[in-house]
Amino acid sequence: MATEKTDVVIVGAGAVGGILAAELGKAGMKVIALERGPRLATKDFAPQDELRYFQRQDLRPDVKRQPVTWRPNANTRSSVIQSLSYGNQAGGGTVHYGAVSWRFHEDDFRVRSNTIAHYGASAIPEDSSVIDWPLSYAELEPFYDRAEYDLGVSGKAGNLQGRKIEGGNVLESPRKRDYPLPPLQVDQAGSNFEAATKKLGYHPFSTPRAILSQPYKGRPGCSYCGACQGFGCHIGAKSSILVTALPEADKTGNFKLITGAMTYRVNSDNSGKVTGVSYFGPDGSRDNTIEAEIVVIAPFVYDCVRLLMLSKTEKYPNGLANSSGHLGKHVMSHIGARAFAAFDDRHVNIYMGPSAQKHTIDDFNADNFDHKDLGFIRGAQISAGPAGLEGGPIATAMNMVMPQGVPRWGAGFRDFFSKYYTRHVALTGQTEELPYAAQMIDLDPDVKDAFGLPAPRMTYDWRRPNEVKRMEFVNQKLLEIGRSMGAAHVWRAPSSPGAPGSHHQGGVRMGSNPRESVVNKYGQTWDIPNLFVIGSSNFPTSAGFNPTLTIQALTYMTADAIVNRYRKSPGPLV
Amino acid sequence: MSTHDEARRKFLVGAAAGAGAVATGGVSSEVLAQVQAPVQQVAAEHAAHTTAGKGLGAFLNAEFTEAVAAFTERLMPGAPGKPGARDANVVNYIDLALAGAYSDMQDFYRRGLASLDAYCRKTHNKPFVELNSAQQDEVIGALEQGKASEFTWPSQQAFFNTLRTHTIEGMFADPVYGGNKDFAGWKLVGFPGAHPAFTAADMQSKEAFTGAAYLGLQSQAPRNRG
Repeated sequence: MATEKTDVVIVGAGAVGGILAAELGKAGMKVIALERGPRLATKDFAPQDELRYFQRQDLRPDVKRQPVTWRPNANTRSSVIQSLSYGNQAGGGTVHYGAVSWRFHEDDFRVRSNTIAHYGASAIPEDSSVIDWPLSYAELEPFYDRAEYDLGVSGKAGNLQGRKIEGGNVLESPRKRDYPLPPLQVDQAGSNFEAATKKLGYHPFSTPRAILSQPYKGRPGCSYCGACQGFGCHIGAKSSILVTALPEADKTGNFKLITGAMTYRVNSDNSGKVTGVSYFGPDGSRDNTIEAEIVVIAPFVYDCVRLLMLSKTEKYPNGLANSSGHLGKHVMSHIGARAFAAFDDRHVNIYMGPSAQKHTIDDFNADNFDHKDLGFIRGAQISAGPAGLEGGPIATAMNMVMPQGVPRWGAGFRDFFSKYYTRHVALTGQTEELPYAAQMIDLDPDVKDAFGLPAPRMTYDWRRPNEVKRMEFVNQKLLEIGRSMGAAHVWRAPSSPGAPGSHHQGGVRMGSNPRESVVNKYGQTWDIPNLFVIGSSNFPTSAGFNPTLTIQALTYMTADAIVNRYRKSPGPLV
Repeated sequence: MSTHDEARRKFLVGAAAGAGAVATGGVSSEVLAQVQAPVQQVAAEHAAHTTAGKGLGAFLNAEFTEAVAAFTERLMPGAPGKPGARDANVVNYIDLALAGAYSDMQDFYRRGLASLDAYCRKTHNKPFVELNSAQQDEVIGALEQGKASEFTWPSQQAFFNTLRTHTIEGMFADPVYGGNKDFAGWKLVGFPGAHPAFTAADMQSKEAFTGAAYLGLQSQAPRNRG
C-alpha cells in the first residue's frame, strides 16, 4: 500500500495522457500517470515480426487477461471479443497505429444541424441520438495545428485559408498553414489509385500520416519498410506518443509514470469532488492511492466507461458523473466496406511503404456529396492499401477474401494467393456511423478480468438501415474505382457481422448541456468539475476519419484551458 | 511421404553428428568416444522411430504429427516450384506453437484430431492419413461447410479455421518460429522478408522485387546470441 499526492493524476499514458503530461508538466504542475502496460522503446521494436506484432497482437490487450465482451442486442448473451485493436502500453494505440492523422470537416462537428439544414429533420433516423458537437472546427483549428507541428505529421494542404490546392485534400476545411512535413513517398498502389480516381472526376491525395517524411525534431524520416500498422516503428519515424510527448513530459521534471498500474476506482467525497484514484500496483499490491487535485481518465473507450461505473458510491449510484444517464451510451465504431483489385499486367508490392490507408479520396465522406434521395446520411473515407492494413503475407492471407469461385484452401487458394499477393490492392471505405443510444458499454455481469473486475460489455450491432444503405453505396464506389484502376479482377468482401470494428467513439459524450451529455467540450464532467474524461469517448459523432488527431487536438485544447483558466479558478470551464 | 521421411531421417542423423562435432572441442578422443556412442545410438533409434512414424515432437505425438502434416498439406499443397506446407515444415511450426505460445490449445488439437479420426473411420473406415488426396479434400470440405459429424468441441468449423490460420502462420511467419523453412512460404508468394528500408524506385516498380536476399529475424539478430 502506498499513498502519493500530486496535482494531477492521469489514468492511461496514451494519446491523451502523454500530451497532457507534457503540457501540464511544462506549466509547472506535478503529474503522475498510471499505465497498466509497460513502457517500451524504439529499440524494442527491431526487428520486424509479423507473427508477433500483427497476428498475435503483442502490442494490444491480451483478451484472456483483459476480456471485453460483445452482444448484438440486450436479448442475447455476450461472448468475449477475440481480438482487440487498442493499445496496451505507454503510448497507447499510437505505438501500433497506422498513424493516419485527419482533421475532421466543419460539418463533422454539426451533423445534426447540417443534416436538418440540407435534408430536413426526417433524414435523421428516428432512433439515432445524433447531436452537434459543442465546439466548431474553427475553435479546434489552432489545436489541430499544434498537434501536427508538435508531433510531426506529413501531408499536403488542400485548403489553405480558403485557397484550394491540387494534390492536397481540396475538400478539407480551411487550415491556417500547411503541414510541417511534405507528404510521404507515394507507392504504385497510390499512383494507380490517384490516376483511376482522377479519371472518375474525384480528388485523390496522399493520406496525411504522423510518420516523418523527413528528419524532424531529432527523429529520422521514414524508411518505408512497411511495418506500421500493428507494429512499433523500428526507427522512431512514426510520431507515436512514446517518441514525442512522453520524452517531453520527462524533460519537465514534473512527471512520473507508473507502469504496470491498473486503476480500479476513482475516489470521491461528499463535497462533489473527486479526491484521486486507487490502483493495483505492479508488485501485486492492492490499496495504492494517488491523491490529486485533478483526475483525468484517458484510457481506451471501454475503460473510460468501466472505471466511472466501477467508481459508483451512495452519492453517485449510477456511476461517477452519470447524473444524465448517458454514461456508456451512443457508442460508435468504424465499419469497413472492402473490395479488392488484382492485376495481371503488373506487380504492386503493396508490402512496401507506410501501410494503412495509403491514398485517399474524400469525395464520398461527411456531407461532401449530395445525399438527396440516397436514403442515408454521412459517408466514408475511401482509400487504397493492403488487404490486412499492413502488407505482410500473414495479414494478407488472413484478410484477403477470395473472389467467387476461388477456394479458401488447397491448390486453388495457393495459386490465386501466390500470384496476387504482390499484385493486389485493397480498397476500403471507412464508414461514419451514427450514434444510437442502445449501442452501449456497461459492466458484464458474468465475465471478469484478471484483477477480478467486471469486463466491459459492448451491446452493439451496426446493421441499421442508414448504415446498411451507406455500406452498399460505398461498396459500389469501391468496385467502380477498382475497375478504373485497370485491375483484371475486382471483387468485394461480404459485409462483416454486426460486431464492432475499430476506432470506438462515444460512451462519455460531450455536449452543450448536462442533460444530454456527460462532459463539456473540455472533457470536464458536468457533475464533478475536477474530474475529466478525454478521448474519442467524448465524440458525439464519429466522422469517416480516423480519430487520433482529433483526440490529440482536444487534449491540447483542454491542457490550455486547465493551465490558463482552471488552475487560477478551479470550477466549471463552461 | 517416404521422400519426406527420408529427408527427415537424414536431417536427424546429420544433426546428431553435428552435436557430436561440437562436443569435440578440447575433449580427448577417449571421452569423445564415450560421448559419441550414446549420441549416435540415440540418433539411430530416433531415426528408426521416425522412419516407423513414431518420432515425437515438442507436443505432438507421432500420430498427431502425421495427421497435422497431412491435413495442412492439403490446405496448402506443394507442387513443383510451389512449396507447400510440408516443404515449409508447417507441422513443426504448429508443434512448437502448441508447446509454447498456443499451449492453451493443446486440448483443442487433441480433441479435434480425435474427432477427425473418428469421422474418417466412420465414413471411410480409415484414419485421415490413409485416405487418398481426393478423399482428404472431401473430408476437409465437409468440415469447412459444417457437414461432417463426430465433432463437439471444438466444432468442425472452428477446427478447420484454426488449422487454416495456423497453416498460414506456419507458411509465412519468420522461420525463427519453426515453419517457413528456407523461406519457402515467402518464396511462394514473392515476399522478401523483413526489409528495413525500400526506396522510392522500389515502391514505384511494376516488377517483382528481387533487390535483396531474404531476411529473417535470425540473420538480423545480434551475433552474440549464440
